[in-house]
Amino acid sequence: MKSRVLVVDDDTALAEMIGIVLKTEGFDPVFCADGDSAIGVFRSSAPDVVLLDLMLPGKDGTEVCRQIRAESGVPIIMLTAKSDTVDVVLGLESGADDYISKPFKPKELVARIRARLRRTDEPAPERLAIGDLEIDVTGHRVMRGGATIPLTPLEFDLLVALARKPWQVFSREVLLEKVWGYRHAADTRLVNVHVQRLRSKIEHDPEVPEIVLTVRGVGYKAGAAQT
Amino acid sequence: MSSRARRLVRRLRRLGLRLRRRAGRLAAAWRSSMQLRVISTALVIGLAAVALLSAFLASTIRDGLFEQRIDQVLAESTRSTVQAQATFNSATATSTAQVQQLLNDMIPALQVSGPGGRDVFLLRSRSNSISSSVLEPNTAPQLRGLISDDLRSSTAEADGQRWQPVAIPVGAGSVPGVMVGSTVEVPASGTFELYYLYSLQSEEETLAFMQQVLGTAGLVLVAFLGVITWMVTRQAVAPVQRAAEVAERLADGHLDERLVVRGEDEMATLARSFNEMAESLQDQIQRLDELSTVQRRFVSDVSHELRTPLTTVRMASEMIYEGREDFEPVVKRSAELLVNQLDRFEDLLADLLEISRFDAGAAVLDAESRDLRDVVNSAIDQAMPLAERKGVWLTGEFDDGSASADIDPRRVERVVRNLLVNAIEHAEGGPVEVRVAVNPMAVAVRVRDHGVGLARDEVGHVFDRFWRADPARARTSGGTGLGLAISLEDALLHGGWLEAWGRPGMGASFRLTLPRRAGIVLTTSPIDLVPQRAADEVVPGAARHDENGPSSLPAVHDLASAHPLTGEIPAQGEHGNQVEVR
Repeated sequence: MKSRVLVVDDDTALAEMIGIVLKTEGFDPVFCADGDSAIGVFRSSAPDVVLLDLMLPGKDGTEVCRQIRAESGVPIIMLTAKSDTVDVVLGLESGADDYISKPFKPKELVARIRARLRRTDEPAPERLAIGDLEIDVTGHRVMRGGATIPLTPLEFDLLVALARKPWQVFSREVLLEKVWGYRHAADTRLVNVHVQRLRSKIEHDPEVPEIVLTVRGVGYKAGAAQT
Repeated sequence: MSSRARRLVRRLRRLGLRLRRRAGRLAAAWRSSMQLRVISTALVIGLAAVALLSAFLASTIRDGLFEQRIDQVLAESTRSTVQAQATFNSATATSTAQVQQLLNDMIPALQVSGPGGRDVFLLRSRSNSISSSVLEPNTAPQLRGLISDDLRSSTAEADGQRWQPVAIPVGAGSVPGVMVGSTVEVPASGTFELYYLYSLQSEEETLAFMQQVLGTAGLVLVAFLGVITWMVTRQAVAPVQRAAEVAERLADGHLDERLVVRGEDEMATLARSFNEMAESLQDQIQRLDELSTVQRRFVSDVSHELRTPLTTVRMASEMIYEGREDFEPVVKRSAELLVNQLDRFEDLLADLLEISRFDAGAAVLDAESRDLRDVVNSAIDQAMPLAERKGVWLTGEFDDGSASADIDPRRVERVVRNLLVNAIEHAEGGPVEVRVAVNPMAVAVRVRDHGVGLARDEVGHVFDRFWRADPARARTSGGTGLGLAISLEDALLHGGWLEAWGRPGMGASFRLTLPRRAGIVLTTSPIDLVPQRAADEVVPGAARHDENGPSSLPAVHDLASAHPLTGEIPAQGEHGNQVEVR
């Protein structure tokens, strides 16, 4: 089955061009040209991944991002012309999983979409424990005391990557490669922002993290399992 | 010199030193406080005025007091003398005993005749030739010595009265007095001198009291003067002090700070002018801020507006490029050119935006503690493919031990990558050497090539935007011409240095020096900009001041003094060139 990609961009030429590229790569593109109708199109098309321009007429891209994130964990990739820290961080904080700055090459775009979609080949059932959390890797669930904590797929991947090797400290670069699928050094702010988001969902007190620990000057590691 | 004298000299010297130090402190206080100056001046002048006035008053009072008393004393003595003479004239005494009796009766009568006491002495005149055994009676024999010979002789010669001030001994001290002398004719005994001794003690006491009052009044006056001056200067100085405080706050960036305007006086005018100045400063700064915001906004907008169509063009060109095998040779070549030039266009756009960000002051240092060796290693890894293509041998020499510093790894890596790419492209197949060194304050990396090198006037321009070493040379290297300009901005953003050195045919050397922690002001770099071997190869004194440094650079210095190997005055002939940017 073809993966459906929702392209939210007001520049019709660019949207059409992205469409051409996606079609040749075997995706099923759906388009939306303004922020106000984005959420409607998202509901009706149920895409597997969303490409979202941050600057949109009508509703702002970050607002659209927040709306989609409110009702779905579907991977969101921001298209941004601004690589300035504030804009990127704002987009990531509103729920985007990844970003790609304009101008990008078709191959780069496709690689990012593929990286967000790759999550099919789950092996044998696997259960992990980290802190007081229980992770059902196959069932894609994280539980604390029997209650499920909703996480986006990316946050889930990040948590699983840390929990699988609780003895290891992961540098931001390694996490970028393992979770985002970047092969070259990229923007480590992606990791910082998503660790913050993850902590706000799973930690008792995000200011004093017990599950995802920071190792100063190196990166992050999993907290000890309590069971 | 004896040891004692030496000790004394030492002690004197120490004392002198202490005095000088104290004087120095006083002088500093004098210079720094207007209030102190004004009050001390007023006090000194006031004190002098009061002293003069008191002295004048005291002497006037004393003179008046004594003159009056003397007049009174003289009148009184005249009266008494006349009375005594009358008594003598009308006396009928003829025998010695009778005369003696007369004199003895006269003396106590004379003593009490005036107001207040006096002592009376009756002396036989020296010129009295009548032999008589009459005794010389007096009321205070112990004070007889106060009658001086001068007075006696002048009294004897004169007709009227003569007087002389004397000091009457009282106990251990003395009180002022006046001795008044005149002559009387005693019946049957010839001329006698009659002396009255008046004590001026009460006048002396009055005078002392007056002086005391005057002194106290003077001191009180001076104290008042001090207080008044203090209050007046306080009124004048306090607003100035307030203005100074507010000015300091303004300078610290608190632009909303204003002075309180009270009344209509000069101080209020000062406050108003001051506030106007602050207002206009604030306005200007705000306008500049707005301008900067607009500029940043513009850059951001241009970025977005240019990037979106560029993305479409880029994707389209890639699609065309993918299918180039099916095209005719001309179209195929065109597709290749299109893709290549789009890469360049993109790099150029990216660099332009980066430079605009620096110009707008929007560049932010994203510093973290990193080992410079790791960053340099990563840059070397990225430059390796280019080095291999160009057949350049790339060597790295790193100091042992940590080269950690608070740096923005993205920017530093970009700088080093830039320097490496530059060096490799200009190395002409020769080796490129990278060296990392540290000292307690700074970390540094130097990239040295042995290629074409740089000429005297070229060194000053390497950090210019869009400057190329040889305009005639083909632009094969594909750089944007902004690489070194951005690198320089990156270095300056860290508070670091980026310096260049070069010599035609001897290659070039670039050195990046970064402070290890924010706030450290660099004074030296851990590595020499000019490698020792190269400096030895040529005439010593290879440093040259480059006056033609790019105008956009903060400062261009001569390295001569900082570099021991090149410290001499440049001689004519072959020189290396270096420019330092701090």
